[in-house]
Amino acid sequence: MAMCTILRCASVSLTSSLPRLSNRNALTPARLLSRTCYKRALSTTTRFCAALKFTDKHEWVRVDSGVATVGISNFAQEALGDVVYCGLPEVGTKLSQSDEFGALESVKAASELYSPLTGEVTDVNDALADNPGLVNKSCYKDGWLMKMTVSIPEELDGLMDEAAYERYIKSIED
Amino acid sequence: MILRLLNRACVLSGSVRLKSTLSTFFDEMGKSGIILKSATTGIFENLALEDWIHDHVDLQNRSMLLLWRNSPAVVIGRHQNPWQECNLPLMRRLGIPLARRRSGGGTVFHDFGNINMTFFTSKKKYDRHRNLKVITSALKALRPDLEVAATDRFDILLNSHYKISGTAAKLGRTSAYHHCTLLCSVDRSVLSSVLKSNTSEVIKSNATPSVPSPVRNLLDVDPTLDSDTIMNAIASQYSNEFGFDGPVITVDPTHEALMPGIHKMAQDLQMWEWIYGRTPKFSVCSSLVVDDVTVKLDMDIKNGAVEQCAMEIPEDWLPSEMVNEFTSALNGSKYCPNEAAVLVAAFTRTVSVTADVAEKIHRLCAGVVSVM
Repeated sequence: MAMCTILRCASVSLTSSLPRLSNRNALTPARLLSRTCYKRALSTTTRFCAALKFTDKHEWVRVDSGVATVGISNFAQEALGDVVYCGLPEVGTKLSQSDEFGALESVKAASELYSPLTGEVTDVNDALADNPGLVNKSCYKDGWLMKMTVSIPEELDGLMDEAAYERYIKSIED
Repeated sequence: MILRLLNRACVLSGSVRLKSTLSTFFDEMGKSGIILKSATTGIFENLALEDWIHDHVDLQNRSMLLLWRNSPAVVIGRHQNPWQECNLPLMRRLGIPLARRRSGGGTVFHDFGNINMTFFTSKKKYDRHRNLKVITSALKALRPDLEVAATDRFDILLNSHYKISGTAAKLGRTSAYHHCTLLCSVDRSVLSSVLKSNTSEVIKSNATPSVPSPVRNLLDVDPTLDSDTIMNAIASQYSNEFGFDGPVITVDPTHEALMPGIHKMAQDLQMWEWIYGRTPKFSVCSSLVVDDVTVKLDMDIKNGAVEQCAMEIPEDWLPSEMVNEFTSALNGSKYCPNEAAVLVAAFTRTVSVTADVAEKIHRLCAGVVSVM
């Protein structure tokens, strides 16, 4: 755990274009995608961009062809400890931004989950029912929580990009 | 009488028009630490009080301790399965209600001999060990020879062996609460019988399980330790530990004007959809014996309702069309003995059956209901 913290602190001081190879939840592919996306931004709306965006509640959102995948960040999964149960919503649930949509139970507590966007739940990660630890082991990939539609794309603009989120984490840790 | 400041002569009576809610009252008090005692003993009203404080009181620069006791009730954790955790038929016979709280953790039994403590803080100040230290220090200040200590599972053990306190917690947007029980003089025979499920062997579920432990009452080791003495010691130690000097305030959680929305919160906690419907998906696989005939029952329960029901019954005892009618009647219904009995009775009225078959269906239903 201490090792991870040292690596995280070290990487934050490097420029954001250098990939963090030592972090097992490496965001390199997403970062490359976001750079490619940026170049095409003039002709493509951001809604189709697969870059990660973050909320101040440590949830991430990745939008792909109008569908947003939601999960919790590495900072959040570390803070939570081992997740023992994922309480997720039903498909079809309509959520407004910041609505409570479920809870993750860990040894630490039952932590509420807040919707990063306004939309309707289209899919829920069923693998988490038998394997809630995926949230810890692979928070950006196999540990995704739910997928939803994006009713108000402008809400994405209000979320933090990866660099801003890194700065945010650093500010809370101090 | 809605509000009483115990260590001051000031009393707010019902005839005074309250311009503020409890939240603004705390803001105006300007104290960074406040101790509350609930005036009621209803489990749903008290759980609603916790939720209300968590949602409405500014806890960024203020911490609070709420002391509360309930009349007999069983409380399960947010993601638990009540059929797995407690004896529901026994609780129904004894008139002991079931509640599901919003924090995680395991199942507990409350009665007047149990003290509940809720520590409200900002997320930053969330510290369960420090809170438990308040309790163990308070007990040791009362009785220096008492061997009580918190474990790394956040239980408090007496003499390193008997559990006298269990912990659960909830983290919200900006604030958190950590609550725990304390066994002072609980009816242990009722506790052990209601917390032993009659159907756990037939249930397959991924709900969070409880960790059963041997328990003791503080009264068992020292008959002079009563709940009031202990509550006062804890209140005092809380102020010492955190450097507060606030008064102890008694609050009536049924007072809607003081806490707008609290009545609905208590109602929501009593809804079947919350208490039973929030049970994680599970399956029931049981062999029932009805009239010396073995019936194999397989059910999938989702959101507390029968999603799928199948039965294996010897054809010569009950024809398969009857069996199919029976299982269809249950499909989509609440996993609830009353509802099942009503549905089966209705279906036997609509199909023409001999008295003999009707009797068999009736006994089959009784068998199925025994696992609900």
